[in-house]
Amino acid sequence: MTLRFKFILGVAAALMLATLPWFASPTLIQFGISTLLLATLAQGWNIIGGFTGYASFGNSEFFGLGSYGTAIAMVQWQLPFGVGLIFGVLLSVIFALVVGIPVLRLRGHYFAIATLALSQVMTAIVSNLEVAGRNTGLVLPLLNGDTLFYELSLAVLLLATLTVLWISNSRFGFGLIAIRENEDAAASMGVNTTLYKVLAFALAGVFSALAGGIHAYWITFIDPVSAFDLSLNVKMIIMTVFGGPGSVLGPVIGAFVLSGISETLSTEISSLANLFFGVVIVAAVVFMPRGLADLMRRFRKTGWRYFSENVKQHRL
Amino acid sequence: MTPPPLLEIRGLSKRFGGLVAVDDVNFSLASGETLGLIGPNGAGKTTLINLISGSITPTTGDILFEGRSIKDLTAFKRARLGIGRTFQIMKPFPGLSVLDNVAIGALFGTSETAKALRTARDEADQWLELMDLSRYADRRADELGGPDRKRLELAKAMAMKPKLLLLDEVMAGLNHVEINEVIEAIKKVRNTGISVLVIEHVIKVIQRLSDRLLVLHHGQQIVEGKPGVVLADPRVIEAYLGRRRA
Repeated sequence: MTLRFKFILGVAAALMLATLPWFASPTLIQFGISTLLLATLAQGWNIIGGFTGYASFGNSEFFGLGSYGTAIAMVQWQLPFGVGLIFGVLLSVIFALVVGIPVLRLRGHYFAIATLALSQVMTAIVSNLEVAGRNTGLVLPLLNGDTLFYELSLAVLLLATLTVLWISNSRFGFGLIAIRENEDAAASMGVNTTLYKVLAFALAGVFSALAGGIHAYWITFIDPVSAFDLSLNVKMIIMTVFGGPGSVLGPVIGAFVLSGISETLSTEISSLANLFFGVVIVAAVVFMPRGLADLMRRFRKTGWRYFSENVKQHRL
Repeated sequence: MTPPPLLEIRGLSKRFGGLVAVDDVNFSLASGETLGLIGPNGAGKTTLINLISGSITPTTGDILFEGRSIKDLTAFKRARLGIGRTFQIMKPFPGLSVLDNVAIGALFGTSETAKALRTARDEADQWLELMDLSRYADRRADELGGPDRKRLELAKAMAMKPKLLLLDEVMAGLNHVEINEVIEAIKKVRNTGISVLVIEHVIKVIQRLSDRLLVLHHGQQIVEGKPGVVLADPRVIEAYLGRRRA
């Protein structure tokens, strides 16, 4: 595919998604909003997890901070939504810098564990803050406008995807990939590893916080447990890994496909939905550990052997 | 007034707990010179390279690069100044193509300005050609075997356009034919006019490449001088083979 064709295809897809609210049912629009937000979160995780290779469990904190930043600004200080969103992003970036500098020194499992622990800490802190409504949470002003939320979510996802596209073709992105592939070698070749890791973490934070802010205003109610929900972080990881970590469109496709499967299953066979969802994920990890993006790239060359080769390569 | 040497090591020591890995080492390296660093296993050769490249910090002593102390700089800053290195246990970027492995050297390294990816890949292409790796450009780096990996390691370091290249046992694990191939590759590198500090076990290699030799034993430098003279020195033979042979 030529670059121009890809560009046209991308614009067409974005336009198609943008016109969806004018002919889709309200239920489908709501499904669309949550899928777009999940895709944005997955894309954010892709920057720190997929490109930089740091398996972060801290991205749900960014989401929570974005939600709370927006809610506090709107409810406690009566500021407009836009200002609240910016406040949420700011909180998230500060958190990424303050926490990232010490925590990003840890590698592999230790980084994952440290970020995992942070989400527990955040729930405890927010539950005790008067301004955040303690345990009961905050109720945001009601706005009936799913179309607006849909378009906003789409815009944020586009922004996140364009950012990742830029990353994948830039010096910055190559620095991140070098860190993922071998951090010591990256440093010895002149990559400012500390700075790059913190920037990647903060950038992931920006998009997660934007998604959190939009989600809070859309749902109109947040509380500490749901805002800092770890299972959301797990979803981001699954969707990114399913779609193809370190690719531009992988996380988006992963989010769309998995949200679709999960939604269909839960309407058809509600009680068994989670079980089937689990099976899909296990199968994906075994047969296509590098995600859909890699599958689409290489399937044409290798055919069905692609799956058996993956199984063999990972000695399963 | 003569300009300062490119690299000057002053009274450098590194202690790991009770072990003195590098003990009061002093030497300097002129621009364009190739210095061979030899010594038995555990003599402190790799530690010395790690001290110069910035992976570890010295206990005492100083390292001057172009007349300026660099001992407190982090590894990446030293790379920016122009110190490139290879690793004894090679560290390619396994999942990236051979071309992009080298392109990262061109994107970072001593390059001051942010350059476009395309420019970096063009530069990488040239290094691949020099190192006889062009036909592997699109392969993943972890698909390369023995001598090709060593040449990739050289190409990566050279793409940084360093002033000083530290080679840590590039020949380890190669057979005679492959060693000759890689020697030719290193000669090409040396002919670009940069300074090289080369650690090697294979005496034949070090003889053919170095202008000068430095021998380390138990972390201390025991002899320094022209290759022929140094290798005939009884202290060197003793360090390698034991007292009776000397």
